[in-house]
Amino acid sequence: MNRYVFYNFIMVSFINLLLFVPHILIEARFNGAVSSMIVGTVIGTILVYMYTSAMARYPGKGLPEILKQHFPQWLVSICMFCSAVMWWFATSIVVVAYAILINRFFNPDANSIIILSMLIIACGYAATRSTLSVMFVLEIGLIVNAPVIIFILFKAVRSTQLNFDSIRVVANYVTAMPTLSAVAAASFIFTGYINLSLFNRLLPPNFRFKFRWVYPVFGITIMLITFFVPIGFHGTEAVNQYTYIWSVTADSLIMQYGFIERVLFLFLIVFLNLTLVYTMCGWHQAMEFIKCCFRNYKPEIDSPKTPVANYVIVGIFAMLTMLYLVLTNEKINMFITSYWLVARMFVEFIIVLTVFVLSRRRPKTT
Amino acid sequence: MNVIIRICLAIIMVCMLGACGFKDIDKRFFVVALGIDQSENEKKPYRITLQLAIPSPKIEPGASKTQIETIDAPSIAEGVRMLKAYVDKEIDFGHCKIFIIGEKVANSDYQGALEWMTRRRDIQSVANIAIGKPDAESLLKVKPLSERYPGNTLFLSFGADGTESSYTYVESLSDFSRRASEEGLDPLMPIIKKDNQESFIINKTALLDKKRVKLVLNPSEAQLYNQLANDFTKSSMHGMFEGLDLVVAITEIHSKFRIGKQNGEDTITMDVKMKVVFEEAPKDLYSAQWRSVEEDLNKEYAKSCVKLLRKIQKAGVDPIGFGLRYRATHPGSDAFKKWESLYPTIKFVVRANIIIEGTGLIK
Repeated sequence: MNRYVFYNFIMVSFINLLLFVPHILIEARFNGAVSSMIVGTVIGTILVYMYTSAMARYPGKGLPEILKQHFPQWLVSICMFCSAVMWWFATSIVVVAYAILINRFFNPDANSIIILSMLIIACGYAATRSTLSVMFVLEIGLIVNAPVIIFILFKAVRSTQLNFDSIRVVANYVTAMPTLSAVAAASFIFTGYINLSLFNRLLPPNFRFKFRWVYPVFGITIMLITFFVPIGFHGTEAVNQYTYIWSVTADSLIMQYGFIERVLFLFLIVFLNLTLVYTMCGWHQAMEFIKCCFRNYKPEIDSPKTPVANYVIVGIFAMLTMLYLVLTNEKINMFITSYWLVARMFVEFIIVLTVFVLSRRRPKTT
Repeated sequence: MNVIIRICLAIIMVCMLGACGFKDIDKRFFVVALGIDQSENEKKPYRITLQLAIPSPKIEPGASKTQIETIDAPSIAEGVRMLKAYVDKEIDFGHCKIFIIGEKVANSDYQGALEWMTRRRDIQSVANIAIGKPDAESLLKVKPLSERYPGNTLFLSFGADGTESSYTYVESLSDFSRRASEEGLDPLMPIIKKDNQESFIINKTALLDKKRVKLVLNPSEAQLYNQLANDFTKSSMHGMFEGLDLVVAITEIHSKFRIGKQNGEDTITMDVKMKVVFEEAPKDLYSAQWRSVEEDLNKEYAKSCVKLLRKIQKAGVDPIGFGLRYRATHPGSDAFKKWESLYPTIKFVVRANIIIEGTGLIK
């Protein structure tokens, strides 16, 4: 069962490429990105260890159930509502950004609202399924897509176009002080563990977290690739001029004898899948959190019949996401994302610390 | 409930498919090469030339058909947009692999053209870019005899699929745009020339600064540059041994450089290691001492390298990236300023290490 925890981690660390994380880090490349990455790694690793060891004491229970044990219902409702907003927003930013990306690269003639509505119909339907099905969809999605993503990343790292001098120039700026937004962006790569808040329900009673050292190692690898490969490809100056830095980097690669010569299209297709899976996961969690706001809700991980509430809640999410696209544009989305990343980091601090303290206070016998 | 929702979703999906704005492949004109020239007209400084592929059922040498469209326009984007009115199908840049910049544009300012290319989403970053001499328009009008597919000749000349010439420097758009703004790494482009018949010659390389051409390398220098900067094998080298001509083919080459101080002077030390096989040699070379031949070749190769590097240095450009290496090894934001004052007077030392592998099939 350890792999189900790991899937969440992998998914979130891959999705950072679409969530403007490289963009934010690269913007700060001369003033603190590298040191922020080190700080982000430390923060991310500590949080992973704290949260997994805390959650191990509550087998089969999600965050809402844990809070309900210790706090009154009204407080739990408020907390759950706030977390639902966080989770909904995390995924909505990505899916909106991807709708705009499709509009830019695949089909500039199409209306981005129509593209987005097709994406959210797919994600919305998947998100209304039971927790167990969502987990299986996540597993399938990752098993299909992760090899291709790793292939693209590996191809980029092995490319002769990669200029190590540029990378060294930027790495030398390690002495610059870290900035808050860059730390938040860097720690996002490690944030997949937070999905345990819901998916801990699935874990069996005698579950133990194994191979926890893999999380930081994997996260650091992905983070280094995310940040340094575009710099190696586009140089220390030109790298900052692109809005979709990783799409352009994938476009600089060539698959001479692949079915499609431009790696860009392969990249966009696998990240389309990943975006759908990520959005499904996020909406499902947000939906479950909303349901936990009500007193008489009994958590179920594999209900035979889909409750109507699922459709209603996800329908509202979909509407809000559409509204978000209408009200924002590329630039505002990017701007909001950088602030959201910071807010997310602090909310995660609070969640992890609360659960950690609660897990230590509880006597072991109960 | 469930069934109704599912049916509704399906209907909504189907209804949306109509709005995709998709155009069929036979309603599209694929641009295979684009030329950007400077026109005489001052109000419309850009002359855009598009080479459009005409699909043909025959695939045989010389059967490729293209249509050339030319227009003068105040800017590149407007010119391309305006050319849409000249043709009956949608113009598509998805297969455009060659961009030719006219010599005049390259000699005045290429940044405008480059910015247009990097900004457009459907232009591939892996496309090749080159300078056309005397202008891009006349080059695109060439109809090579052996061409099978429209625009294939130039594409094959640059890629690794067709010919691999040691005289041709291959530049991709993404690399060019990196070099065009990087501090300490300057751009360079191959120069395409038309010969008297219907074919191209690509054996010169232009070195540019951040704005225009600074220096043009002649064919032998272009080859030497490819060996030094790109470790290009499949090339040859000319040398002398006791007054006799030698030509060797390079089978393996590795070069690396270091910036440091030697005898109190700032020096760039370049180490070139290569393995060679003789292609032309005096008859009894097999029995001669190879060690002394190697030493002679080393000396001569080092001399010609230093000459080339000095020439590049004098032109004030840095295509190999010495400046970038200096920035990488000297932390601090003022490293590039220091380098700029250092570069014009820096000394070059080339240490060649040539290993003879054999004399070919005959002694």
